[in-house]
Amino acid sequence: MDQLTRAVVEPKNPALNASRNLNLPHSPGIRAGDFIFISGMVSVDPETGEHSLGTVASETRQILSNMAHLLESAGSSLQRVVKVNVFIYDMLELANMNRVFAEFFPDEPPARTVCGVQLSFGFKVEIECIALAGH
Amino acid sequence: MAAREIFNPYRTPGLDMKQHYGMHQSMGVKAGGFIFFSGMYALDPSTGERLHGTVTSETRIILENLQSMLAHAGLSLDRLVQIHALIYDRIEYDVLNRIYRQFMPNPPPARTVWSVQLDAGFKIQIDAVAAA
Repeated sequence: MDQLTRAVVEPKNPALNASRNLNLPHSPGIRAGDFIFISGMVSVDPETGEHSLGTVASETRQILSNMAHLLESAGSSLQRVVKVNVFIYDMLELANMNRVFAEFFPDEPPARTVCGVQLSFGFKVEIECIALAGH
Repeated sequence: MAAREIFNPYRTPGLDMKQHYGMHQSMGVKAGGFIFFSGMYALDPSTGERLHGTVTSETRIILENLQSMLAHAGLSLDRLVQIHALIYDRIEYDVLNRIYRQFMPNPPPARTVWSVQLDAGFKIQIDAVAAA
């Protein structure tokens, strides 16, 4: 069987390369075969690279905007996302996440799982995804 | 380049959480030889009514619904690759396994179990990746 290539996916904007900037032992994403696997993303300011704490709505918007940039940096896009896992700090806020989520995936949304977990650093949302590579 | 196609098993309209509960997600997405299923709760497959119960009863409903959706694509639970089982309390781990075993092929798919906070008073949510 032919071996699949495995390549790191990184954002063009270096401020958004949280795993490198914070020296964390994960890649922003990995491309393998037809797929790109994106690490869990939290809300980061694309100008400064700083944590951008806010509401569930504002953090969701920032994360999905940064996720679009990361996927586009790898030649993919939000339209190519097949599965999303959303972690929020409290399921009471589910609707606030869902509303912003809908703005980013207007048609044919991806499959998704949402659950409430304890997150680090006071974040309210973390999102990871699997996308098809290419446009 | 691999295509991305929404997987819409129309025989189980009750499982469309976008239609019934405004959850902005597709039941499943086919891509690159796989079907990715959204997190599933115990819903009536015709009406979408929430069928709250025990971990055992909710798991049975979810896995029967998953079976129906796979059957729509001419597939069975034998094609499952990976499962995420999200339960409300890890004390129910063995309860989950007892019912889960009755459905899974041998060898079973890869699986991760998380203890998390779930929506709407449910005790379990399951998502899945299947080889199409």
